[in-house]
Amino acid sequence: MKTLAKYATALLAMALALGPIYWLITISLKTELDQFASPPLWFRFTPTFRHYTAIFSHDVFGRYFLNSVIVSTCSTLIALVLGLPAAYGLVRFPWPRDWSQGIGFWILSNRMLPPIVTIIPLFLMLREIHLLNSLAGLILVDVALNLPFVVWMMRGFVEDLPREIEEAALLDGESRIGVLLRIVLPLVRPGLAATAVFCLIVAWNEFLFALILSQTESAMTLPVGIAAHVTQYEIQWGAMSAAGVVAMLPVLIFAAAAQRYFVRGLSLGAIKG
Amino acid sequence: MSLRLENITKRFGVKDALRGLTLEAGEGEFVVLLGPSGCGKSTLLRIIAGLEEPDEGVVRLRGRDITRLDPRHRDVAMVFQGYALYPHMTIAENIGYPMRVRRRPAPEISAEVERIGARLGLAHLLRNHPRQLSGGERQRVALARAIIRRPQAFLMDEPLSNLDARLRVDMRAELKHLQHELSVVTLYVTHDQTEAMTLASRIAIIKDGLLQQYATPSEVYRRPANLSVAGFVGSPSMNLLPGVIESGVFRRAGLSVEPTPEQLAAIGARREITLGIRPEDIDFSLTSQPSWTEARVWVTEDLGNETLLRLALDDVHVTLRAPAGVRADFDSPGWFRIRREQIHWFDSKTTGAIR
Repeated sequence: MKTLAKYATALLAMALALGPIYWLITISLKTELDQFASPPLWFRFTPTFRHYTAIFSHDVFGRYFLNSVIVSTCSTLIALVLGLPAAYGLVRFPWPRDWSQGIGFWILSNRMLPPIVTIIPLFLMLREIHLLNSLAGLILVDVALNLPFVVWMMRGFVEDLPREIEEAALLDGESRIGVLLRIVLPLVRPGLAATAVFCLIVAWNEFLFALILSQTESAMTLPVGIAAHVTQYEIQWGAMSAAGVVAMLPVLIFAAAAQRYFVRGLSLGAIKG
Repeated sequence: MSLRLENITKRFGVKDALRGLTLEAGEGEFVVLLGPSGCGKSTLLRIIAGLEEPDEGVVRLRGRDITRLDPRHRDVAMVFQGYALYPHMTIAENIGYPMRVRRRPAPEISAEVERIGARLGLAHLLRNHPRQLSGGERQRVALARAIIRRPQAFLMDEPLSNLDARLRVDMRAELKHLQHELSVVTLYVTHDQTEAMTLASRIAIIKDGLLQQYATPSEVYRRPANLSVAGFVGSPSMNLLPGVIESGVFRRAGLSVEPTPEQLAAIGARREITLGIRPEDIDFSLTSQPSWTEARVWVTEDLGNETLLRLALDDVHVTLRAPAGVRADFDSPGWFRIRREQIHWFDSKTTGAIR
């Protein structure tokens, strides 16, 4: 009985999580007529790849996809490159009293702000430095979005490293930066990988900033591009769903590839024992 | 002098970890820093290593002031209690790391790694990772990593304390011989007095951040400078019985002892003094002897080659060594005599030895 309840709960959770995705995929494979059939056609319809060929023959879609790849990978890399040393410094350097905690909390508090609050100042600032409607501007904003998260996550991983190992390296003749690169970095790799996946997903899905800060096709990302299928005259459900499926794939692939690190990284204590 | 510490003071918040400690060690000397946990001995080691900065004082290595130098510029090697091996590197990479950091050519590194590895019996483990090794093997790797670059000083922070008892004794002997071979000044921190006695050419006993005594093991054993040294060195430890001296006789509940004339002269006008006597300097008898002191047998411990007896004398216990084969029942009467020439007298107020 207990097992049954367990399975029932799991099944319900799965239905809730996967239901919309199933719906998205089926819509992307249906003709316009089938999309609106009532009662809905759950399984029995003739699939068509028309919407997929349509979006791929539409050359801006490729542009959006590429833009998204550039923005999310660049912003993730920069956030990691900046965030790991920051986290390391916060944990290991001799701060006066509880400054380390204070700075750490201040960094995290940046994430507590509703993003919409910052959008107008960001818009004005980017306009001032001529980075509106540019990928560089979006990258900059996504770095700012992800950096607190990176610092906070990596702080935990660095704290878990035995201090003695780093001290041994210092005595073996290593500099601080050498310790960070050759001792700390390899040891926090699982944590870094998990953090990177989070950052990539956040940046990949980021909609609000991208919508407001880049309104030209050349600097538009996928989420904004997908939303553009809602036009003045019609909503292109089929094309929009197909684009959504394509946008989903990289994240799925990446998360699957990093799953090994993911579980290890999130359960911490990756190098104990 | 190879290593010289001058007036080292270190405070953590309001607590003094070290209070004006001065110490020097000669070329090739094996100095053991001995003391209870929290006495400041590890802090001292970390100050020499450059992992902590002293608030006051100077550290000199072969005459060079290294007090404010980065650890990597000091040319000292350290072996940590938890070994601190690099988990992501093989044993060979671990051992060769200090040379790699110094950008030595790869063939030279691998030749050195092989040589040191063979010397420490690690030849067959060089391709393994630290997690595949036993505690004793990890300990050897840590040692190998420390000696590969021939530093000017070795620092060891309780390196044997994570090993089981038998292995510890073996590693102790090996370590002592290795140190003799390398003949590099070594500072070794421990709270285990047996380790200190067996390894040291000189022992520095530290308590509450102060140097209590700095002398050879036998000197520390035979002429402890004060009560804390007397209580810390020797196993089982010295019996310390506080009492008072009145008209030339030392008295405390259940016991009166007449010091020798020389001892009396040294004691002088002091009144509250402490009698210290090692367990081997007490005679024991199961039958009544004239002028011996009667006590109750509290517990006997048969060690095979000797017997340790713990007698209850009024409110204290007196521990003594008796020959093998001495048997006594719990709570049976026993008689003992303190060999008065062997008594160490201490001033109960200043805790210093009376000489």
